[in-house]
Amino acid sequence: METEATRSILPMLAFALPIVAAMLTVPARRLSERARDVLLIGTATAVAAAALVLAAGVAGGTVYEMYILQLTPKIWMYMRVDAAGALFGATVAVLWLLALVYSLGYMRGEHRLGRYYSFFILCLAWTMGLAYAGNLLTFLIFYELFSVLTYPLVVHEETPEAMAAGTKYIIYILVGGTLVLLAIVLTFFSAGTQTLASGGILSADTDPMTLQAIFWCFLIGFGVKAAIVPLHGWVPDAHPAAPAPFSAVLSGVMVAAGSFGIIRMIFQVFGVSLLKSLDLAPYLTGFAAFTVLFAAALAVNQENLKRRLAYSTISQMGYVTLAISLLGMQSTIGALVHITNHAFMKGGLFLCAGLFIRRLGAYNVHQLDGAARRMPVTAACFTIASLAMIGTPPLSGFTSKWYLGLGMLETGNPWLLAVLLGGALMAAIYLLPIVYRMYFREPALTPEDLTLTEGREAPMTMLAPLVVATIITIGLGIGASLPGLPVALARMAAQAFFQ
Amino acid sequence: MEVVDARVAIAPAISLLCAALVFAAADHTFWRRFFSLSAALAKLIIVMSMLPGALKGVVYTFDLVEFTPGVGLAFRADALGMFFAVVSSTLWLFTSIYAIGYMEREPNRRRFFGFFALCVSTTVGVAFAENLLTLFLFYETLTICTYPLVVHDETPEAMRAGRTYLAYTLTGGAFVLLGSIWTYQLAGTMTLSQPGILTMEAGRTTLTALFVCLIAGFGVKAAIMPLHGWLPTAMVAPTPVSALLHAVAVVKVGAFGVLRTIYNVFGVDLLQELGVCDWLAALAGITIIAASVIAIFQDNFKRRLAFSTISQLSYIVLGAALLSPLAATAAIVHIANQAFAKITMFFVAGSIQRTTGKTAIHEFAGIGYRMPYTMGAFTVAALSFIGIPLFAGFVTKWYLSLGALESDQWIYALVMLGSSLLNAAYWLPIIYTAFFKSPREDALVHEAHWTMLGPTLLCAAYVLLLGMTVSVPGMPFALAQAAVKFVFGM
Repeated sequence: METEATRSILPMLAFALPIVAAMLTVPARRLSERARDVLLIGTATAVAAAALVLAAGVAGGTVYEMYILQLTPKIWMYMRVDAAGALFGATVAVLWLLALVYSLGYMRGEHRLGRYYSFFILCLAWTMGLAYAGNLLTFLIFYELFSVLTYPLVVHEETPEAMAAGTKYIIYILVGGTLVLLAIVLTFFSAGTQTLASGGILSADTDPMTLQAIFWCFLIGFGVKAAIVPLHGWVPDAHPAAPAPFSAVLSGVMVAAGSFGIIRMIFQVFGVSLLKSLDLAPYLTGFAAFTVLFAAALAVNQENLKRRLAYSTISQMGYVTLAISLLGMQSTIGALVHITNHAFMKGGLFLCAGLFIRRLGAYNVHQLDGAARRMPVTAACFTIASLAMIGTPPLSGFTSKWYLGLGMLETGNPWLLAVLLGGALMAAIYLLPIVYRMYFREPALTPEDLTLTEGREAPMTMLAPLVVATIITIGLGIGASLPGLPVALARMAAQAFFQ
Repeated sequence: MEVVDARVAIAPAISLLCAALVFAAADHTFWRRFFSLSAALAKLIIVMSMLPGALKGVVYTFDLVEFTPGVGLAFRADALGMFFAVVSSTLWLFTSIYAIGYMEREPNRRRFFGFFALCVSTTVGVAFAENLLTLFLFYETLTICTYPLVVHDETPEAMRAGRTYLAYTLTGGAFVLLGSIWTYQLAGTMTLSQPGILTMEAGRTTLTALFVCLIAGFGVKAAIMPLHGWLPTAMVAPTPVSALLHAVAVVKVGAFGVLRTIYNVFGVDLLQELGVCDWLAALAGITIIAASVIAIFQDNFKRRLAFSTISQLSYIVLGAALLSPLAATAAIVHIANQAFAKITMFFVAGSIQRTTGKTAIHEFAGIGYRMPYTMGAFTVAALSFIGIPLFAGFVTKWYLSLGALESDQWIYALVMLGSSLLNAAYWLPIIYTAFFKSPREDALVHEAHWTMLGPTLLCAAYVLLLGMTVSVPGMPFALAQAAVKFVFGM
């Protein structure tokens, strides 16, 4: 289904605007704090609008493209918005906007805000570019830039833990990025062409050893970012160390960027039929299934809330990888939808975690006793997101898992349903006790604690993004079958992949 | 199409004239600056004026003198030479501006700027040399002209470094001379205008010996291990000199000599048959990795830069030794990519030293907030060396990896990727120290003088431009391609 593409400047604006905004952040702050806020929010809103317009257009059957820079005589920086990219792009842009609004409240009074906001908005640019990249080199450019230039956000707090987490992060990511580069070089050398195409761009008569090498390099490279066990080491350290709004996007879309890379690799570099003939996908299934269960089991014992959520992310992204590895139509829809759904669920949970830290000084699960009485809205949002994460109908988490389950049956792997349900069960085990504590335990805070923190609901700038994320989580579940929403786009993408 | 044009001779001559004028200007600071800058500018204009023609395929030649029939001084600006000349004359302008700021209060400025100009004069001479004799002549003159710059501080340490430098490079020069004469005897000509002048008739052993001789000669300046000993020692020189040594003139002349030997003396086909390039590639691969590993353990900033240079130069040698068109493209464009990134770093090193007096990396804590623009430029250069896409270094890494696959030696693709990780291991800690470590001295934002900051930022901008697009104004990728096409007869 390689339809005739329409030229559009929107894919370029989606990443060019944040770059400009990043450069203007510090000068705008000299003007006034308000000017900076307007600049940041305005940019993020514009990007979100562009992403939604593109998604709507793609849902209507158009494919957008744009040639930007001639990188080498043969290769252009080329953006192409297909259904998968449009869905991911829209998810990224909307979540980013929420996290940014939240940041304005959360980061007030923090140090080095110029650095924080510049890199935060810059990171949006790279992620949007990643979503809309039309060939492998363009993909690599944005992948590497966003991997490396995220470092200042990971270590923002500059505590010894944050610095250690940052070092771990950069080592994992650089090694992963190098493997991705190797894979792309090998692909380019074997296939020559670079435009990502639905049938795959590698031909079946390529040397099998080379194909194996490409597959494993891609898998390990992207697997680092997608946090496939045993490549997940950086995730549980980076999340608690980073500021909450950044944790939200880190978990929500940046880990997913690795999964997105795997999707591009499997369906558009190899192509379904070639991969089936190579018989490599079952390995991926094995790793992914292990990831789902292993990370969920570890999450149960985490006392630090953000750390627990980080393990949950690893487990949930395992679902996505698992779904992709089945090479089935329904499961692919499930994978794409789950990326979007997870972004808002987990984003919401991290925003809650941030509020608990700021308003109650609560970093650990046991400090949340009775939190619902002080912060009813936050607690309600946390509960809804938790239920969605477990997969309770009609919330969004259910939709994606439904397709996943269908896919497992469709591809003849009913035993994997055990993994699906096991993961969901364990999500209940690591999330519901928190809900229980918030509602049914006596408040843990002493009056002395409350002199240090507000101890009540946060102001609107922080609460509103959280509520919106929660509404999206509910809406994506209830309205799953409406046209133009993730399921419809994911179906278009999957149809293209399996053409 | 060949056109006789005096500009190829004027370009090197201008710096010569400049040197004479600087010496004549004695202690008049204004005139010294005026001559230095206007000569740099004039040369850049002349070289650039040849660029449109060169891009259309015109080759400018000029025979200066002929000693005996077929042996003489002659200039010829082919694509490869033009590329090198464009890079070095652009950077000369930047370095001259920087040097004026840096050397503000140093003694012996007349000697410094005089020999500085001479060095560049000879570099362009090497770029435009039509035959091995001309090449040798300028190569050797460069060695001698750099000596007063290396020992500029006249400390016992500097004098010692100067002696080491001379010992290495003069020996190398002797090998080049021997190789040149031998080539003349075998081929009956010394011209560099052909894609190879030697043939298999000379015998395998002879050719191998000749190859070793020429590569050893040029390899000294290109700092191929184990011939690199002089380079870290020569770091005692003032920073603009180090920049010139490392980025523009001395080392690049060595690398350029290696390229000329491989492409124009032997030729790709002959070398493929001879098989000696596998050894050269292996040596370059080892140098790339070993020098990077050593660099990790250097705490002195300039010494770390020196080992990085050794590693980076071998990218060029490796690219040439792989004998594939894509790798050759990498080798040629890396002349520019390495030059701009490395000179940025040296400018940064100099600025830090001048403004804060710090030379050891562990002393740089928090310096990123004191000199944000300077360290920003450094970050750009560092990311380029690591090979992050959109930075110049990535272009090299990309083509060299592809070239390694093309010549069926995938191990060098792994070497490239390993090297970029090693680069990360020794550049990122500096960025970390500068931006993320206390003590912060925010209140003391204090950048270097604009004459030093300006060139630094310009070079950093070039690093970005070179990485982003093939059509950088005045830094034509097309020339590198033309050179590759000529060499490989495509």
